Amino acid sequence: MNQDDKDVIQVRLTAIFRQVFDDDSIELFDEMTADDIDEWDSLTHITLIVAAEKEFEVRFNAAEIQRLKNVGGMIALLIERTAT
Amino acid sequence: MKREDKLSRLKEIKADIRSGTYEAAWTALGLIAAPDDDLLLQTRFAALARAIPKETLALKPLRVAILATSTVDQLKESLRFWLAREGLVAEILMSEFGTLQQTVLNPDSEVYDFSPDVVMLFTNYRDIQAEVPPGSSWEEVRRAVDSAVEESAVLWRFLRERLNCHILQNNADLPHSRVFGNFEGTAHWGRLNVLREFNLSMARAAFSNVTILDMDAISSAYGKVRWHDNRYWHHSKHAFALDATGLVAFEAAKVIGAVKGMAKKCIVLDLDNTLWGGVIGDDGIEGIILGPGLGAEAEAYSEFQHYVLALKQRGILLAVCSKNDEENAREPFLKHSGMALTLGDIAVFVANWDNKADNIRRIAETLNIGLDSIVFIDDNPAERELVRLFLPMVSVPELPEDPTAYIATVSAGGFFETTGFSKEDELRSSYYKDNASRNQFQTQFGDLSQYLQSLAMRAEIGGFDQSRLPRVTQLINKSNQFHLTTTRYNEAELQAMAKDPAIRCLSFNLEDRFGDNGLISAVILRPRDNEALYIDTWTMSCRVLQRSMEEFIFAEMHRLAQQGSYRRLLGTYIPTKKNTLVKELYKRLGFSKIGAKDGTTHWELDLTSPFAEPKTYVLREEVEATA
Repeated sequence: MNQDDKDVIQVRLTAIFRQVFDDDSIELFDEMTADDIDEWDSLTHITLIVAAEKEFEVRFNAAEIQRLKNVGGMIALLIERTAT
Repeated sequence: MKREDKLSRLKEIKADIRSGTYEAAWTALGLIAAPDDDLLLQTRFAALARAIPKETLALKPLRVAILATSTVDQLKESLRFWLAREGLVAEILMSEFGTLQQTVLNPDSEVYDFSPDVVMLFTNYRDIQAEVPPGSSWEEVRRAVDSAVEESAVLWRFLRERLNCHILQNNADLPHSRVFGNFEGTAHWGRLNVLREFNLSMARAAFSNVTILDMDAISSAYGKVRWHDNRYWHHSKHAFALDATGLVAFEAAKVIGAVKGMAKKCIVLDLDNTLWGGVIGDDGIEGIILGPGLGAEAEAYSEFQHYVLALKQRGILLAVCSKNDEENAREPFLKHSGMALTLGDIAVFVANWDNKADNIRRIAETLNIGLDSIVFIDDNPAERELVRLFLPMVSVPELPEDPTAYIATVSAGGFFETTGFSKEDELRSSYYKDNASRNQFQTQFGDLSQYLQSLAMRAEIGGFDQSRLPRVTQLINKSNQFHLTTTRYNEAELQAMAKDPAIRCLSFNLEDRFGDNGLISAVILRPRDNEALYIDTWTMSCRVLQRSMEEFIFAEMHRLAQQGSYRRLLGTYIPTKKNTLVKELYKRLGFSKIGAKDGTTHWELDLTSPFAEPKTYVLREEVEATA
């Protein structure tokens, strides 16, 4: 996993988190889960995933959607899916 | 506007809200929010709207129950936003996921305590149990469809018996996957054909308080392949693509708006580059681009005129507002063979060089309608901007540059939703046009009484019987200006009142030398303490205002009250943003004020003292039973 790729994706994902949770102070870390952000519930989780699909122009399959529970997992999946 | 631009505009709006400039924020939000914006944007719109204190926006309260067979949390928030854009602040009850039937059929369930104005039965095609084996007979298909429709109808009846609410029922959003391929469109037992049959049968079964939310049309317009995003169905039981959330919420809000009388009544049209291509003043009658078979643009303008004409035929008023010399502006209507619209279709024709905001204000006055019931169509962005600035209550859709997209733009705006179509809708345009000739006529008379005398008005008094009920319902729910108490009753409630011998229900039709104005007023009188008769509801169409019709109606109420040996006639005026017109009505009619609180005033007329019947120029046609 190339660190530069990861950084670029993390920056873009951070922007999405900030939009979805309307909080410009959010900083992502790999182990971050719904427990770390008060508003991160099943409702915002869906918004987050749909917004990420749009931003990265990818389509997650149902199993992936179900699996995405923490930020590290999301970034890893995005790296995998956006790799050319 | 691009998505990124919208997201950054939302940041500015958020700052506005933080600094307390709520109205500016709300207006700005209205300019960027579109139904087809994606889920993230819809979520942001809803969140920002939530942060604006609702009392600063003068919204009407509304109670909505959403009973769904799928996950609708996102839809609920988006619906709240789009209802607010309609002028309604909604309290929303959402039943537990997947408990639609149980909630309706349990008389002790929360929905009956909540007493909603609107119940949304949010189903999807997966709920429809109408499949038949391949090769089934037509009778078998019918039986399956009828029993599936009955499953919904049972719920409507159950709700109707216990609540006075309007029901919004989804039809089946047909899937795009097929077992038999195109043959499913041929065989009557094909799954898609059976669902089509179901949709038609359900529409036929819907009674007056049920409106179908046409999910099949909405999903088709969105695109079935995108709509049926089964990932989120299997993941979290979202029945349609999440990015269509805004669109569904918008469509539902528009229908609910129509239930609450928020639909538009009039479309004000520019001429040059709106109804035809080119500039009539410069290009002349030979030069303007219009008419079938004369090229793409000419055809597009022609089609747009046909669309506008269809709106007129369903009762939407047409007005012209153009920067032109009047003679030039009228010329194509008189001479151009490609015109679908004639001068006769236009209720008010304004062509001058004044600013359009002033002209639209004049059009509203002439037609006696509120500015908030007007849609303004103009190809010129500067004119649109001016009207938005000075008349923010007028709806001004962003017209695309390409005239081939005009129809789709006006249609997608959802301005003219309705929950019914009455005889009066059919005739309305001609009423208003008659009124315009009346106004011209008026100028020839030195004094008003002479004019009113010359109108030869005849009124017919009736009750709320079946033939009149739809129009009475419409009048009571849609009128805002001449409506003393702005009471809203649905058809079922009015029917119940008509049957109650203690309550007097009156309706008035008016004819004059120019034609039939139709049913123009409704009155509900209730006894109070045995000795008084209380005017619970008094509404009248503004197109017959100031023609001594009020006096005529009042005299009739007075007559009924005396007949019933009541000692007092009581009236109340409850102020709203729109009914200042009738603030002093009771005073004018000789009532005395007996109380006032927060703008609401209470009035009384002593029936034991001699009655000076007010002057009216309306003759009484005949009296029918007021049962």
